[in-house]
Amino acid sequence: MEEIKTAGKQSRRHFLSRIAAGTGGLLILGSYGFSIKKDSKEGVIRAIAVDFEKCTGCRTCESVCSEYNNKTILNGEMIKGLSNPAKSNIRVYHFNPDVDIPSTCALCKDAPCIEACPVEPHPETGHKALYRDDKLNTIVNDTERCIACLNCALACSEKRAGVIRPDPVTGNPAFMCTLCGGNPQCVKYCPYGALKYMEMPADRNLDNLAPEKLAEIMIDKFYNV
Amino acid sequence: MSTKGYYGRMLEVNLSTGKIEKTRIPDRDIHMFLGGRGLGAKILYDRLKPGTDPLSAENILMFMAGPFVGYPIPSSSRTCVVTKSTRTSPVTKKYEHSSSLSYSNMGGFFGPELRYAGYDGLLVTGKADKPVYIHIEDDKVSIKNASKYWGMGTDEFDKTFHKDLGEDRHESCYIGPAGENQVPMACIINTAARAAGRGGTGCVMGSKMLKAIAVKGTAVPEVADLKKYNELLEKIRRSFMKKDENVMNWRYGGTANALASSSSNGTQAVKNYSEGTYSEIDKIGTEANRKKIWKRDFACYSCQLACKKSGFAKGAYGVQVHDGPEYETGTMMGANLMISDLNGLHKLIYDGDNYGIDIISAGNTIGFLMEAMERGDIDEDFLDGIKLSWGDVEGSLALLHKICKREGIGELAGQGVKALSERIGKNTSEYAIHVKGHELAAWNVPVGSSYWAITYATSNRGACHMNGGNTSGQDNACLRDSLGACSFASSWYKDEVHYRHILSAITGLEWSEEEFNKAGSRIFTMEKMFNYREGFRREDDTIPEKFFKNEFTHGDHKGAIVERDEFSKNLDNYYESRGWDKATSRPMENVLRDMDLNFTV
Repeated sequence: MEEIKTAGKQSRRHFLSRIAAGTGGLLILGSYGFSIKKDSKEGVIRAIAVDFEKCTGCRTCESVCSEYNNKTILNGEMIKGLSNPAKSNIRVYHFNPDVDIPSTCALCKDAPCIEACPVEPHPETGHKALYRDDKLNTIVNDTERCIACLNCALACSEKRAGVIRPDPVTGNPAFMCTLCGGNPQCVKYCPYGALKYMEMPADRNLDNLAPEKLAEIMIDKFYNV
Repeated sequence: MSTKGYYGRMLEVNLSTGKIEKTRIPDRDIHMFLGGRGLGAKILYDRLKPGTDPLSAENILMFMAGPFVGYPIPSSSRTCVVTKSTRTSPVTKKYEHSSSLSYSNMGGFFGPELRYAGYDGLLVTGKADKPVYIHIEDDKVSIKNASKYWGMGTDEFDKTFHKDLGEDRHESCYIGPAGENQVPMACIINTAARAAGRGGTGCVMGSKMLKAIAVKGTAVPEVADLKKYNELLEKIRRSFMKKDENVMNWRYGGTANALASSSSNGTQAVKNYSEGTYSEIDKIGTEANRKKIWKRDFACYSCQLACKKSGFAKGAYGVQVHDGPEYETGTMMGANLMISDLNGLHKLIYDGDNYGIDIISAGNTIGFLMEAMERGDIDEDFLDGIKLSWGDVEGSLALLHKICKREGIGELAGQGVKALSERIGKNTSEYAIHVKGHELAAWNVPVGSSYWAITYATSNRGACHMNGGNTSGQDNACLRDSLGACSFASSWYKDEVHYRHILSAITGLEWSEEEFNKAGSRIFTMEKMFNYREGFRREDDTIPEKFFKNEFTHGDHKGAIVERDEFSKNLDNYYESRGWDKATSRPMENVLRDMDLNFTV
């Protein structure tokens, strides 16, 4: 873990230790909860991490995500679209007692979503309809080849965070994180510094990604009840 | 096609007939009254017959979301509940049920979601014959059975209801047992803690047997000039993200920061407003709460101030996971009752919210009864055996519960201090701290009385601390409440990111400073005309006798008192600046015409 480069000014170790405080050995990291082994053999993955202690549930992330990822052309110029949380790839779930769980694609190394895609790999690229993009490791859907069976969405909701849901218009799988081309807007605009785009071990535990599960953990941590 | 930034569409639900309609809002009304509080006042004036019983099927309960609501304009998520008040009455009743209008706004996520569903407001009329809730999913609207939830406290309801609604994210607001029991001072709650607290909103909702509203939506109203809007949004976001001291203070303590500062300034309601300074304030202030109670900071939609503090208390009154004190709840259930036991205070706030009661009015009422006991104007028999005294947590809890259940003395106490003082007699009206029947909030009057006395005396919903103490302050509050903007963040919206520039970009209408300010003034005057029609006059624009007779006995502001003549003179000046008749308080005809309020003449 020591070799892992820092994503921001704050050292990664410091960030981890802070958010890990009081969780009884379970490190809470990512837009979901999972444990991290001392050392990772599988390399690292760069994704969005959430510091649940800092999130206030303001949902600015949803706004800026939907603005950036739904750009519009105005007088020949491409500009950010109008915020609409229903179109956001990151989604904040609120629970009582008060806890907010931002949830977004974890870029899971084993990608159960891709695993579930029944479309034959493309002879040249080897990509199924749902595939991992080489550049940022994001999960991408090829709408030309997608049959909208939503097996990917089912796999994600059964095994991971349930991030993939059908696009309300096309019915194709949607809401996978784009990382905004490498400059995630949710991270850039989070007023509370609760989101980070950072490297984390690829073989981290991905069992507790569902917002409900995470909420249970965080409620127990924050309110001790 | 409506003005951009709006749908120009109201959702109307009649709970008597079950009829659900989507109605057009005239463009002219949008331009004149903006939305939110202003548009609500116009609709109430148009559609209610004078003298309508607030608890009748005819009364209208509106949930208004102004033109900023749903956009990620920082701190602009407020939902304004507008209805005819259950709390107020004029000195000279023109009708049996004369009362003022009531508006009360709440932060959170409800208003934004209502706009995502495609509406600028929800208007409820009629009465259901069994408990119901309204379910809104974009165009799909239904009235559903809520019998299983009737009787549930707001905390349990919040948990149960959202579980029942399933994984899809809904926003909601609801009443607790106090609203179900039609306690006049009942309120509407969302997220188990945020409240449209004042003016009996929850009582009206309860009278309609409407337990809750759940909403979820997928749309967003178009803006006229997206490029300009994006530029302004970037600037205003950046100005908050500088995280200056002001931002960080809000995050650190929220309004609870004022517990200490107001006490030291002599502006706090202490001991039923007898004092302005509380010597034990540090036991319930920001630092004490940071240390003992608060665990987490929460924000409303797109807010960078996060003034909501969620806490955990464990002690003599059990365990509560709930919002810790803020300035109003901390003062009204704390300093005003001389309660400095933080766990006791936390329990009072939790129970108040859980029953769904206006904690300002309830705390004020309990304070009145404490003073009445101390003076010997009532005895414990009057209070069903409760030995109520200053600082008494147990007694306050017992009374609070009786109020919320309308049990024994609670039946009368739930009607507030005006009704209590009328029943008790013996000059108790002098220390019944209300205006027009609505209890004063946590800011005391004598220090800075030229501001506070006018604030309370001239508020259109009866005593209100958010009213503003002069015409421009009041007009600005009207504008914010109509746009959906939070008062706490108003200081960031200046110069090039002023509200009116954002409104111009959204609507495509060029809002000049003059026209914008005039809209604020028009909204305030519209409300006044509603009240005037009900019979409210100058004699109703006053403050309780105590402020003219009682001097503070300690603190830096020892001796502070309100001079009667000075108050009267300030009120004259106020009417003059509004263009209102000094004898009757009626807005002059030329003023009404100038504001295009001819229909009220």
